[in-house]
This record gives sequence, C-alpha cells and structure tokens, in this order.
Amino acid sequence: MFSPFFYLLRDIGLPVSFQYVIEFYRAFEKGLITDLKQLFLVTRLICVKKVEHYELFERAFSAYFLGQEDALDVPNEVHEALIDSKPFQEWLAKELEAGNLTEEEIRNLSLPELLEGFWETLLAQNEEHHGGNRWIGTGGTSPWGHSGRAKGGIRVHGASLHRSAIKVIGQHRYMNYSGDSDLRSENIRQALGMMKLMLPTGPCSEINVDKTIEKTCKNGGEIELIFDRQMLDRIKVILLLDNGGYSMTPFVRNVRTLFSKMKDQFKDLEFYYFHNCIYENVYTDPRRSQTYSLEKIAEKDKDTRVFIVGDANMGPSELFSAYGAIDYYSTHKIPGIDCLQLLAETFPYTVWLNPLEKKYWPYQSVTITAIAKIFRMESLTLNGLKNAVEYLNSRS
Amino acid sequence: MSLEFSGSDQYYLNPELEEIVNIAIAMDKPLLLTGEAGTGKTQLAFEIARTLGLKMEIARCKSTFQGEELCYVYDTILRLNDSRFGTEKTERDVDNIWDYLRFGPIGRAFQAPERRVLLLDEIDKTDADTQDNLLDVLEDRSFIIREINHRVETKNPPIIIITSNAKRELSDPFLRRCFCHFIPFPDPDEMKEIIALHYPQIDTKLRDSSLDVFYGLRRKSFEKQPATAELIDWLGALQKRKKKSPTEGNEVLFRGTLLKRTQDLLNEKKTSRSWS
Repeated sequence: MFSPFFYLLRDIGLPVSFQYVIEFYRAFEKGLITDLKQLFLVTRLICVKKVEHYELFERAFSAYFLGQEDALDVPNEVHEALIDSKPFQEWLAKELEAGNLTEEEIRNLSLPELLEGFWETLLAQNEEHHGGNRWIGTGGTSPWGHSGRAKGGIRVHGASLHRSAIKVIGQHRYMNYSGDSDLRSENIRQALGMMKLMLPTGPCSEINVDKTIEKTCKNGGEIELIFDRQMLDRIKVILLLDNGGYSMTPFVRNVRTLFSKMKDQFKDLEFYYFHNCIYENVYTDPRRSQTYSLEKIAEKDKDTRVFIVGDANMGPSELFSAYGAIDYYSTHKIPGIDCLQLLAETFPYTVWLNPLEKKYWPYQSVTITAIAKIFRMESLTLNGLKNAVEYLNSRS
Repeated sequence: MSLEFSGSDQYYLNPELEEIVNIAIAMDKPLLLTGEAGTGKTQLAFEIARTLGLKMEIARCKSTFQGEELCYVYDTILRLNDSRFGTEKTERDVDNIWDYLRFGPIGRAFQAPERRVLLLDEIDKTDADTQDNLLDVLEDRSFIIREINHRVETKNPPIIIITSNAKRELSDPFLRRCFCHFIPFPDPDEMKEIIALHYPQIDTKLRDSSLDVFYGLRRKSFEKQPATAELIDWLGALQKRKKKSPTEGNEVLFRGTLLKRTQDLLNEKKTSRSWS
C-alpha cells in the first residue's frame, strides 16, 4: 500500500533508504498512524532529514496520498495501481454495500476525494487493531456515515485532524529552504561551516597524556608533564569574483555579503575581482582600479580554498587568444585559459561556482565547457555550494 | 506508549510539535530539533522532562568535544599523581580503575536506574568526527570504556533530544539515525500565545502594534534577526516604562533589546527615517 510512495520519494530525489521503510512499518505496527495527519508526520519524520527537502516531501505526499496532481507529476500508473489494489477495491466494495456511496457518486468523485476517504478508513482501522474505537466498530458508524450528507459532497466525520495536515501541506512553509533556492545567510552558513583545516597553533596548553606517562617513566616515576599545541581551525579562503557586466552584478553582491557573514569562521578571507576571465592581474576593489598580480596570488598558501564565482560565459577569444581580454586598454598577453590553468595547478582546492542554471552550461558557450574541464564547476545554489564543499573536503 | 507528552502552562507547544515528540518517544529515536535561535528548541527538552517527571542529563556541546567525554573521562593525570604521591587521605584506590572514571551526561543517563531525558545541546558546534563517534553510542545505546574494554549498556534508554542551530551541516549518517524536525519561526498568532504565557496582563493594543513592528523588522534582513527571546525582552521593557506604543515618532523604542549588532542598529536607523 505504502511502498510505491517510498519509490516515488526516491524518484524525485529524496534519499530514502530501506531502513526508513522498515521504520515506517514499525511505526505502523505500533499503531502510531491513525489518520492522514499522523501518516504525514510519521513519514516525514522518518524520511526527511533536511529542511531543504520538506517542500519536495510535502508535494510528493499530497500528490500520492491526496491525489493532488498539480503538486507533482505522479505517473498515472502509480494511482492506477493503487486503485486496482486489493485494499482499495475492498474498501470501495464495503462503502457500496453499506450504502455510504452509490456508483453514481463514485463516478462523480474526484481522485483526491476518493483517496482521502480511503486512507482515512484504512488508517483508522490501524488504530482499531490497537484498541482504538474511534470510527469503526461502533455500531456501524463508518467515517463516511455522516447523516444528512448532501449528494455529491462528501463530508468526513470528525473532519478536523487530517484537514490540518492538508492545510499545513498547502502552506509551503519550507519553500525558502529548498536546495535549489538562492543562497541566503541562514543556509550558506551550514554549507560553508563544513570547511575546516585543523592545524596545531598557539601556545602549548593541551596536556599530552601518552608523552607525559612515557617521560614520567623515564624519570623513574617523577612526574613530568608534557604539553602540546591545540588543534585549531586555520582555513584560508580566497574569493575571485567576476563582477564585469551587469549580468553578474546581483550575484556578486550576494556572494560577497554571504561570505562576509562567515568572517567569524573564516578569519583569513580575501576578495579579488576580475572581468569575465582571469588574466595576469586581478583587482582588489570592485571598480577594478587597483591591480593585484596573479603571481602574488599564486604565492599564497597552497592549502587556501579558492572559490571563483563567474558565469564562465564569454567570447571564445577572451579565453583562448593572447591579448584576448575584453577590456580595451588591457595588454595581457597570456591567454586567459593559461592563467586559469596556473591557478588550478597552484591551488588544488579550487572550485568554480556558476550562477547560470546547470542545464544550460553545455549550450551557453564553449568557454563554460572548457573551464569546467580545468576546475570543478558547481552551480551557485545551496546544493552546488554543498557539493563544492564536499569536493574540497574529500580532496584533503 | 506509557509516556504522553503535552504542553504546559509555562510553555506554548505547537500541536504538530507535540505529536512529533510523542512519535519520537514511541519509536525510541533521538529527536533532532533545528531552527533559528529563540524558537524554544532547548526549552522543549526541559519541558519534556518536567511534564513527564523525568530527570535530565544535559550535555552542552563545545567545538573541542571528541564525543567520548560525553560518555566518560578517564582521569589519567589524577591516577598518575596518586601513584606517585599516594592516596592516603582520599577514598581512591590506585589499583582500581573505576575510581578514576568519571561519567559524562550520556554515561550517567545510560546507567541511571530510571528513564531520563538526555539533551545534547547545540550538537552542530562539534566536529563531524565527534558526531560520528556519537552515532554508534546513540544507536546501540551502549558504549565501551576502552581502557578496560568494558561495555556500558542501558536498560532504560533515555529520551534523547538533540538541538542544532545549523551553524554547520550535520553529517548524513548522523541525520539518518535521528528523527529530524525543523521548528519554523512562530507566526503572529502563535506568538500571541507565547506572549500570553510570559505577560498574561499585557495590553492587547500594545501587543498587536508591537508584533506589527517586530514582524516588520524581521522582514528586513539583519545580520542577527530579532527572535522570540528578543521580543519578550522588548515587551518587558515597554511595559516597565509604561509605554502605550512601541514607537515614538519614527523611532522604535528600546531597539537595543531587539537588535544586538551595531551594524544592524545603524541599518535600522537609516531605514526607519524613510518609514511612515
């Protein structure tokens, strides 16, 4: 009954493991799932671990259990299989037999209405198994046996609980947190927080027990304490931002402020600017008047994490030709691609973040593909940034 | 399901959250609560302990934690000292390692004769490694004292509540083993309920106009968003000063209680001039 739902979750990109399914049935056995609202909460608790997946889950839930097709494109077969299934057919037969539904009514009911009634009954039975007596087995008061029901309109007895679940689902409260959303301070913090580089630093203030014991033994039992330096995070970050052209403007400001907010974590954080591609110089100010040579950048710590933010979308000559820079007065001889290559070779921890949507990369310009061969390229979204950080961490 | 948790007169409990806590208790899973500061994550653990009448063990996480110290600490230095200088005045016996083992919150919760509530506060402050170390402990509900290869097991698995301010992303395996719930920031109606618990006598006009200003401020982006705790402080200040309105002219009164960062205060000043 429920397993197609888990497959649906997997299909739309929610990582659901076998363990979750087992847990779900355990919850079902325990009689925790007695109505749609409980079903919603329990499945969400079991299957969704990250707030950016809430939105997706809510859509999948309303599509599968409530038959709301606009929420998500569920393949027709999924619902057909459900309707053909034994429990559903049995339920339908019972409803007909009890006179709660006429055949004509069934034909007029929409899929959401049918499904709602079905799940409500099914789940309430789950409670019945565990000693509950809310709806079924109380002298034939079925959930649909609401007297005086107007034709065609179905009122569900005690319509309160699951309604609130459905209401909750419609609110899209978690839209801002979904993974493809723009980067904002609350979510970027999580992603970047994973970047760390632990090095022994500062005064020797941590006692080293092993060495102390060893030294003490050598001393013939006279205690001698040995201290070590503390391990502290000493990560360095360089941001190279393409702020040439209006297309990049909104992104640059965002990225700059977002990374600035990480100052408490990245004590060593530098910004540089470039226009379309990096040549022999970058700039220290957003107006690109103060030059800073690429050589000097290359002299920095090799462990530095370098983020290059740009759309990588330019005229091929800007990337491949000598004197290719778009700026008229520029006299850079070395082609941009060689400068990029130099950066990639100098800093093994480099990621290119691209604000263009990933699906357009191959079509937009050959330069994007060329640059993506030099650097790991990720999209400038929460997920992209997470992938970038994961990639950087996996290299160290 | 002998334990049923519900809100109390001192704590406003969102009905959804109440269900979630009860599901987690029934399923015996650690409950990981995330959300903005000031949404009552830590408070919830205390409420669970209070309403269920259980004792609590609290672990406030630090970035230097390795995980093991939450279970136990083996005090080598003390033992070394005792073996050198003797233990005459103390009850300790150098030959007995148990005299040198100190149990942390997890160790105590596991060994307690009755069920306890175990709060792991701000787990995100710890490293991914630490979280991984805690994984097995939380799942098996047991840990090993390495020095003597002794397994500490529990007969009364504690109710585990974990909070995170999302300073750092938690590792996937860690998340997999918890029930995770994100507490959204309370909407104005819920906020009224929360205020009522703190200031039952509050003038409704003042409350409503203050809430308008408060949610207005939250819509602008500040480095440190004012949250529930700030709102409560601010309302307290307004009432103490017998103010009838949260603003005077264009100025938000006592804005220092709402905005804590200098830059935020300056920004607010700038924008408030163009208000009204």
